[in-house]
Amino acid sequence: MTAVSEQVTANVTPVLEARDVAVHFGGVKAVDGLSLSLEAGKIYGILGPNGSGKSTLLGALTRLTQLTRGEMFFDGEEYHRVPPAEVARRRVARTFQTVRLLGDLTVLDNIQLGADARARTGSDGPGAFSRIFARSGSPAVADAIARTSLQGFEDFYPSELSYGTQRRVEIARAIAMNPRLLLLDEPTAGMNQKERAEISELLKSLRGEGLCQLLVEHDVQMMIDTCDYVFAMNFGQLIAQGTPAEVVQNPQVQEAYLGKKWREHA
Amino acid sequence: MSDFLDANAVLVQATFIGLVLALSVQVPLRMGVFSFAGAGSYGIGAYLAGIVTLRYETPGLLSVLIAAAVAAVVGLLLGLVIARLAGLYLAMATVAFDLIISVIAINGGDLTGGPTGLYGVITDFGTLQLIGVSIAVLVLVALSEVGRTRRRVDAVRDDPELAASVGISVRRYRLVAFAASGALGGAAGAMNILIRSTVTPMDIGFGLIVLALTMIIVGGARSWKGAVLGALIFTWLPEVLNAVGEWQPLIYGLIVALAAIFLPRGIHGLFVDAQRALQRRRRRAATSEVASVGDDDAPDTDSEVIETLKESSEVEATK
Repeated sequence: MTAVSEQVTANVTPVLEARDVAVHFGGVKAVDGLSLSLEAGKIYGILGPNGSGKSTLLGALTRLTQLTRGEMFFDGEEYHRVPPAEVARRRVARTFQTVRLLGDLTVLDNIQLGADARARTGSDGPGAFSRIFARSGSPAVADAIARTSLQGFEDFYPSELSYGTQRRVEIARAIAMNPRLLLLDEPTAGMNQKERAEISELLKSLRGEGLCQLLVEHDVQMMIDTCDYVFAMNFGQLIAQGTPAEVVQNPQVQEAYLGKKWREHA
Repeated sequence: MSDFLDANAVLVQATFIGLVLALSVQVPLRMGVFSFAGAGSYGIGAYLAGIVTLRYETPGLLSVLIAAAVAAVVGLLLGLVIARLAGLYLAMATVAFDLIISVIAINGGDLTGGPTGLYGVITDFGTLQLIGVSIAVLVLVALSEVGRTRRRVDAVRDDPELAASVGISVRRYRLVAFAASGALGGAAGAMNILIRSTVTPMDIGFGLIVLALTMIIVGGARSWKGAVLGALIFTWLPEVLNAVGEWQPLIYGLIVALAAIFLPRGIHGLFVDAQRALQRRRRRAATSEVASVGDDDAPDTDSEVIETLKESSEVEATK
């Protein structure tokens, strides 16, 4: 992809850079020759219709999905051979397309699971003994709970929460990892307008702290309101990239994802 | 207490040995490893403790430690070979491991005593030592069910992909599961021969797997408390069922079948469910009180419930 150079400003080492990344499942080319570059302190979005390869791309960027070809670099260091469990040590956190919380753990413990990874990186690490037997409730967890407005839910189990609240717990778990790169797969799915606005504000405040974020989202208005830069995908390839306004107005994107109604409305 | 021990020594010993054996299958299951290798490790531990005692006259406790350590290493090696398997395929591979241990025991010549096994293994290892070792084992297993270790074990079992995304090496945990299973099975087998003074190939067969699984299914697979319940029930139940004579196996089987159908998380799961229901009820009571104090409208979303709770606490504070 030649468009990468348009986005990367001179002399800035991107947090994550992917070059000609491909993920093929047999004959299905879920991601096919995609390149992108993500910088600190920006919110990036990925638009695309269902099956366009967005979630597969997130899987590849977190090393949970093996690359068929291509290279990735994190802070300029080779990243595409790093084992999945090492990704958290590089402070890459993610949420999933469907909520993935542990049903036998309380909200507090689910979020602490993220903070446990933070402790392993040594950035917020207590001694070995207290780490192993530590009960929940570290400062990182309290901060994540406050940021996601989950105060009062600490002792709830995931099955007792609405879908939107479960989503917030997932986001809190990712924030508790103190990430440098945060990958969010449809973070506002199942949330009402008020909650969506809150999450949008949260992402913007994290951007202000220098966090790099990559957001897969179907809510186009939220993309426009929140993202600095948007990639549009279809059939595993980038079909457009630029500011949200540019991408939304791109005829290829409108046809592939938004359909004629949006074009007429716009 | 001493009188009780004297009168029921055999049952008490069987309870603790059964408990450690059950843990050898339960610990890997808690990590999502469907392994029955604990039964094979039991065989390794029993024969090894017998051999070192007969040949080198090692103290009982040392024999147990040697047996547990060697069985742990064998378990780890087994894990390195088969840890990539999952589900029924993994279970079958571990059953094959158990059968191989039986075959080795039968064909081990003078070392294992062949089909007649080992006899006359007399040591200083008695009921109190057995109870002491079992409780030490139980404490270690219980510690793995709290704090960070518990969270990580739950993640490895319930969602390996999520576990990897929060920095947990799933493969490492699976290997630990195999080693721990080996150590626990080995310790159980060693303690059994040191108490009973004998072991034969018949003692380390498929029946051990059935016994351990039965204890876990009925007691509960998610906690050491389930293993304790299972060990207690299935060691003492046959004594209770003596009254029904030849119907004993049928009633025994019925109990297991009914527990598997109606108690998918075992008896321990019932307590957990009851505890959570109680928590929910308390929260609901608190919420309805709050709603009646602050607002006529019942809260209809989680956030509103919390908001109402917060407002209420402010109201209380200003009173």
